[in-house]
Amino acid sequence: MKTLRLPGRVGSLAAIGDYIIQAAAKARLDEQAAYGLRLAVDEIATNAIVHGYQKIGQIGELVLRAEQTVTTLIVVLEDTSPPYDPRQTPPPDFGDQELGERPSGGLGIYLARQGVDAYRYDCIGGTNRHTFMMNRTQ
Amino acid sequence: MKIEIERKAGITVVRLVGEMNSGTVDLVQEKLLELVEPGCKIALEMSGVTYISSMGLRTLLLLYREISQQDGHIVLCGLTEMVYDTMFITGFLEFFETYETCGEGRSALAEI
Repeated sequence: MKTLRLPGRVGSLAAIGDYIIQAAAKARLDEQAAYGLRLAVDEIATNAIVHGYQKIGQIGELVLRAEQTVTTLIVVLEDTSPPYDPRQTPPPDFGDQELGERPSGGLGIYLARQGVDAYRYDCIGGTNRHTFMMNRTQ
Repeated sequence: MKIEIERKAGITVVRLVGEMNSGTVDLVQEKLLELVEPGCKIALEMSGVTYISSMGLRTLLLLYREISQQDGHIVLCGLTEMVYDTMFITGFLEFFETYETCGEGRSALAEI
């Protein structure tokens, strides 16, 4: 699919969601896989905007592209907010704490990791590159 | 996001239709928190909610905290499969009472 370039603000998330829904439909992902992928990209993009660009007072760019092979749909999201590897964020502690007392951090990253078949992070010359992979069931 | 509020026999039913995402949570949060008062009973009818992100979950968490602090009660009704899954893997379902239909949720609140 054509590469999508958007300003790094919350208002761009709807267009990102639409792009992923379209890519998932083209790759014929089932409903659950499509939902998981959309959620994953939404969460990582939200993170880059809210904890990345907004923290440094910048509206940078989000670049999104989707490619499919016979077996896989690959979505790549890039941003130039400060380097952040989501894999370093521990999953939220679902221990004995009452819901009302739990910290709410880490939820989005956790959902993102759960939603896809494989996830990869690279930092390339100051660009955060998030790669999401979904298996296409034949 | 469409939000319909109906008060009947001491129970507030809130029907949400749309997506609970970064673009809609502020409105949902504002409308829901307005309804919290001491001893309130709220049934959140979510069969029309087609998507929930962590931002939506945070709104539910905030609502749960407010309601608990004011000795109120909340039940969630009609969760769609995807929303149910998201709430399940994040442990939210251990705390929220859920019902398949709004009628069942209402009846449960009426008995408290």
